[in-house]
Formats: sequence, structure tokens, C-alpha cells
Amino acid sequence: MSGGTRLENANPVIFQRSGQRLHTATEEDEDVHDPIDDREIFDILSINDPEHPLSLEELNVVEQIRVKVNDEESTVGVEFTPTIPHCSMATLIGLSIKVKLLRSLPERFKIDVHITPGSHASEEAVNKQLADKERVAAALENSSLLEVVNQCLSTRTI
Amino acid sequence: METREAELKGLGADFVFGFVQSMDGERDPRNLLLAFQIAKSIVHRGYDLGKFTEELFEVTSCYFPIDFSPPPNDPHGITREELILTLRDVLAGTPQFAEFLLPLIIEKLDSDVQSAKLDSLQTLTACVSQYEHKDLAEFLEGLWASLRREVFQTSSEKIESAGLAALTALTSCLSRSVLNSDSEDSLCIFLDLVLKDCKHHLCEPDLKLVWPSAKLLQAACSASNRASHIIVTAVVPSIIEQYNNRTQMNASVMCWFCFWFCFFSGSVGFSVEEVVLTCSSLQRIAEQVQDTEETGRCFHDIIIPRLLSLALQSVSLICFSQNIVRAFFMRFVWFPFWVFHVSRLAEKTASRAVSLFLDGDVSFLPDNSFPSDIQLLKQKGDSWSQSQMVCLLMGCVCSLPRSVEVPQMDQLLLQLEELSCTCSHPPSYTSAAKCFAGLVNKRAPGQFVCTLLLVFRVYSVLDSESSSVRTQAFTLMIWVRVMLHVVYIVFHCVSLKLFSLLDDADLGPMAADGFSLLMSDSSDVLNRSCHADVRIMYRQRFFSENSAKLVQGFNAAPQEKKPNYLKALSNIVNKLPKQVQVTELPALLSLLLEALSCPDQGVQLSTLSCLEPVLIDPPAALIQQLEALVNRLLALTSSRAMLNSFQHMSLFQVLPFRARVLRALARPLDDKKRLVRDEAVQARSEWFLLGSPGGS
Repeated sequence: MSGGTRLENANPVIFQRSGQRLHTATEEDEDVHDPIDDREIFDILSINDPEHPLSLEELNVVEQIRVKVNDEESTVGVEFTPTIPHCSMATLIGLSIKVKLLRSLPERFKIDVHITPGSHASEEAVNKQLADKERVAAALENSSLLEVVNQCLSTRTI
Repeated sequence: METREAELKGLGADFVFGFVQSMDGERDPRNLLLAFQIAKSIVHRGYDLGKFTEELFEVTSCYFPIDFSPPPNDPHGITREELILTLRDVLAGTPQFAEFLLPLIIEKLDSDVQSAKLDSLQTLTACVSQYEHKDLAEFLEGLWASLRREVFQTSSEKIESAGLAALTALTSCLSRSVLNSDSEDSLCIFLDLVLKDCKHHLCEPDLKLVWPSAKLLQAACSASNRASHIIVTAVVPSIIEQYNNRTQMNASVMCWFCFWFCFFSGSVGFSVEEVVLTCSSLQRIAEQVQDTEETGRCFHDIIIPRLLSLALQSVSLICFSQNIVRAFFMRFVWFPFWVFHVSRLAEKTASRAVSLFLDGDVSFLPDNSFPSDIQLLKQKGDSWSQSQMVCLLMGCVCSLPRSVEVPQMDQLLLQLEELSCTCSHPPSYTSAAKCFAGLVNKRAPGQFVCTLLLVFRVYSVLDSESSSVRTQAFTLMIWVRVMLHVVYIVFHCVSLKLFSLLDDADLGPMAADGFSLLMSDSSDVLNRSCHADVRIMYRQRFFSENSAKLVQGFNAAPQEKKPNYLKALSNIVNKLPKQVQVTELPALLSLLLEALSCPDQGVQLSTLSCLEPVLIDPPAALIQQLEALVNRLLALTSSRAMLNSFQHMSLFQVLPFRARVLRALARPLDDKKRLVRDEAVQARSEWFLLGSPGGS
């Protein structure tokens, strides 16, 4: 991160993390197929916020209720809510979510990441960027951008 | 009355009235006795009392409780007891007297005179056997209040036990009643009263009224299955919870738990869950409590005999279901008997246990309802239920310190050997083998000759392919082998045998598993806390002497036997200390790689755990082999354990494989099991970050 800049949202509201998912008996049964569900996608999205040593879940940027997956039709949709309406990190956050899903889901899935309607000033522009495959691929070629994204996706705690 | 009954009954209520009038005011004991006997006949023989029921009652009950001291040198020989008993028969003889008798009893229980109290309690016990719940309904509170008082504030043991007996009888009566749809369940109402007053005392920290409350609850419990079920389900959870809240185990808690255990084991009809709950609590307490003289005594004098008694009941009487029996024994195989080794007491327990198992001596057990000719170390035909008791014997004698001598050792060893070689029930013969081995291990090394002879006896069984007890013999050999690290000659002979068995059609896989046992500490019999003789570094020595032989054997073996060798190898290597593993691994790597492709998942997993240190920190010699290793692993990406290992791989050496790994890990992302997908996601994310800017 470029050092010394002022934080956009210096005092974010912190939400409580939901607990770990509990294993059920059917999950242990080798013969039963476990379909991919919303909670599973939500668990994949344990991503760090670029500004604070907190996760997107703790900042309520991602919520389980805004994750919709359809295993049979191979589609997944994630709505995320930037903490403030003029947040310039919105694109970065959206990109991190998209990359995480790309890395964690089978190829058959069509991934749609967009901003929760009404929560950001430039949501149309951001959504358009995130939906464009070529632009996403090009962004990841940029090593400094990739570095920031990887830091967000890093599982080692900051 | 005997001869003219019909005629007398024909007189109807007038006869009763006449009798009452004539008896009134009588004071001569001889006449009174006669009068009581007549009244008893009237009541018992079903004479019609008509509207004179109360009068009959009045005229007899005015003498209650009997207060009579026969004059010295009384020529007629009428005793107080005779009068008491006959009067009791009258008063308690019919339910029609209930409404009058019960208030009378309650009133007399208030009296200060001990004999009056005793008489009242005994009369109460006698009368409720005839009564039904509707007779008792309105008096339950009053009766309970009195009984409770008598037990809580008792000054005499006789009165206390009479009170408890009365409670049992009362509960029993209530349990018997058949309910109508609109009548209340008086048993529940009554037990609610009892529980309300007794339950909270059990949890009191200063134990004031624990004993009396426990006794009352036990008395009620022993009345009937229904009652015991109600009480146990109400009491047990709160006791367990209460116990769980205590952070410090001290002697008083232990004693308190003893009371509860005694009470619990006295009642009947509990379920599997309750058995398991009690046993695990007992185990936890035993592990945590301080080892003092007091707790030791409590344990050895109260709990162990109760335990053995309960176990014996469960196997010899038919009232317990098989599920309970099984649950019970599974729990107690792990019971920490070694915790309480105050020598003197442990010795006493050991000798009692030995006399129980060898001679069928049940005298020290609390309940005496056992057959006198039990032989616990012999299998009875096809039934194995008794022989599984041997695991308790193991607990009692194998954990003794070396200084304590086990009585009748030779006889015990003989019977244990017999049992372990002939019994057909695996848990039983395994326990017998362990017990045997544990005892042998404690003997002086000079006595190993007998053990050597045993081993050869076992060999002869193993060598005869047609014997039906090869598995049992094998088990015995393994356990003896485990114990005898001190005597290297035997060790050596037996390990040769084990290797030769890897090729055996029936015993091959078991022999391979046997190596795992050899190399590990058996937590129940072979460890330092059991005072067993454990030589250090036996694992390394074993490995260095035998690894070449293992590799040779593998190369020479036919295809279908190769898995046995692989399993044996991975079992052995797995248990070596880390440094040894790393130095020895290069020589074995090709064999271990082969083991990874073995279809047996157990072999795969144990090989993987051997290889982990290599993956995390590969020594220089292994770098060339790493590619082969990674390729093998990638072939197995549908297994969670495999995927897990991918997360921990080291950094730079494996970087050239990154692309390959990422591709291979894409497939399990779509696995049908969520748990596999989770592991794959984590592994793949790690590998994406590997060597990437901003990543690790």
C-alpha cells in the first residue's frame, strides 16, 4: 500500500463475524452430493479490507444474504456494499472478490460481482468494469495492482 | 368363627356392632389379644362392616400404639410384640380403614416416644401394601412431611430405616395404581414432592443433608421401575451439571460423588445414555481428583467394589440389555485405575480382584445376589459376556507398582493364557492378552524363560495352518512382544516371526498392523504411569535392524502381498522420531512413493504423514525426487488429507510445479463433497499466492 495517505473511512463500524460453519453428518457421507450453497460462497469470501486490518465481513461490505448461487445453472452473484458512498476502493474491492471467486470456483461458473444498488455514487461505472472480462484480465497483468489484490486475498493475518 | 363363618356373616353388620360393644373398654391383655384376633378375622375374611366401620376402627385403634410392659414372671406369656403385630394386622387389614388410619399414623409420628414412631412407620409400611392410590391421595403431603422429618432429623438408625422402608412401600403402592383418563397421576405428584425437597440438597456445597436426601431418593427409586425412571431422569442431569461446575476436585466432592454412585447403581432400569454418562463422569473425576489417603480409600473401598458388582450384574443377570453391557465395557476399558495407587489399598484391591476372578469369591461385593460358582476366566460355550470382565481385571492388577506383588501370579497367568488362546470374542481375548502381557512385564527379567516357552507354544499354533485359533495366538504374541523390550532375545525371535507372517494368507494384513502396535505406546497397559518397563530408543533400534530386511522382503514378495510390506513399512517409519525419519527417508523414498499409489487408503494416509516433514523442509538429497513426489500426490487430489498436505508445502523448491499444481487442483474444486471442496479452495489459494507479488 502506498504509505502516508489519509484513510478514507477512518472510523468504520465493525460488525460481528459469523461463527464457523458446523459440519453435518451428511457432509461426512461419501455417497451424498453436497450442492454448493450461499454459505459456502460466503465462506470463500473471507477477504481483507485494503485499508483496515479487518475483513470485508466485519465491515459488512459482504453479507451472506447478498450472495446468490445456483449450482445447477452454474451461476453465482455477489452484491457488495462499500462502507461510504464515495469510496474509491470500491473497484479494488470488487476486483478482489471477483478474483477470489475465479480462483476458487470450477470453470463452469458464470460470476457476477456488482455493487449493491444505491450504495455508491459511481456504481454503474464500477459494475461495467467488473463485468468486462478483458479489463479484468488486463488489470491482473499489472503487477502493482496484482500485489494489492493478493494482499487482500492473503490468508496470513496482517 | 372358623366353623360358622357363613352364619356369622349372615348376621350382617349387627354382629360387628355387637362385637364392638363387647370389646369396648377391655384391659386384660389376654382378652385383648383374643379380641384383636377376632377383629382381624372380621376384617380379613370380608365380613360386612356396614356403617360400623368407624366404630370398629375406633375401638381397636384406641390401643394404638401399644404401650404394654408385661409384668415380671407373667404366667401367660403375652408379649408386647404379639399385641403389636396382631393389632397391626387389624388396622392395616382393609382399605376401608385408610381414611381413619392415615391421619392417626401422621399424628402418632409426631410423638416423642421412639417406640410409637417405630410402630407407626411399620404399620404404615404394612397397610400401604393393601391400599390404592385413591386411598392415599389426600394424605400424601402429610405423610411425606413426616417421613422426611424422620429421616432428616433422625436420632436412631432403626427409625431411619423404618422410614425409608415406608417410603419405598408407599412409592411402590402408588406405582401400582392403574390410572383413569381423568385421574391425576399420584405417583408423579408424590415424587414431585420428594424431588422438590431432596434434589437441591444434593448440590449443596457443605454436604449437610446430602446423605439423608440421597437415601430418601434411593428408597423411592428402589420401589419400582417407573419411580426410578422418574427420579433418575430428574436428578442425574443436575448432578452432572453441578459436578461440571466445580473447578476444584477435593476429597469432599469425591465422597459426595461416591454417594451418588452408590445410589445410582442401586436403582434399576436406566438407559444406555445414563450408563455412559455416569461412567464418563466417574472417569473424569478419577482423573482429576487429588490423590490423598481419603480419596484413595473412598475409591478402593466404595467405588471399585460397586463397579465390579455392577459389571458382574450386567453380565450374569438378564435384566440388562446387550447395548448397555457393551456401552459399559467400552467405557471401562479405559478407566484410569492407576490413578489411585496408595500402595496398601491398591494391594487390597488387587488381591480381591484376583480372588474374584480365580476363585469366584464375591464376598467383598455389596450386592449378594450372585451365583456362587462364577468362573470369570473361562468362556462359557458361545457366550462371551462373562469373559469380557477380564478387562476390569486388567485394570486392577496391571497398574500396580512393581513393589506390590500380585497374589497367585502363576495360576493367573495360566488361566489368562488359556483364555486368550481359546476365547472367540475379540475384545475378550485381546484384553486377556494385554493383561497377561502386563503381568509378565512386571516380573523380574530372570523369569523370562517361562515367557520364552510360552512364545514357542504360541509359534506352534501359528505354524499349523489349520488351527482355528491362530488369530488369538497371534494377538497374544503381539502383546507379549510389546511388553518384552527388556529381554532382547525374545524380542528378536518374535520380530523374525512377524516378518515371516507378512506373507501369510490369513495373518498377513494383521502382521502389518502389528508393527504399528509394536512401535507405539499402548496407553492402557504399557506406559510409565503403569510402572511398565519401557526401554528408551527401542524404536530406532528396531528400525535400524530391520529396514533392510523389509525392503528385501518387499522386492521379493508376490504382487498381492506387497501391500502388507508397504503397510508395515509406513507403520514403522511413522512412529520414528523426526530426525531419524529425515535421515532414513532417502533410502526408502522409492518404496514410499510406491506406497502412495497403493489402493489401500490407510496405507496412503500413513505414508503421507511420514512424508510431511520432507515436504515442509526437503533435505538436499531429496530435491531431485521432489518432482516424482509431487506428481504422485497430484494424482490423488480427491482425498482431503492429500489436499491438506498441499497447503503446507515449502516455498522455492516446489515453485517450478506451480502451474501444474494449479491445474491439477482445479478439478477437486467441483468435487461432490463440500469438505473436499473446502480443502481444495484453500490449497489452490495458497498456491496462487506462492511466488506472486503481494503473496507469501
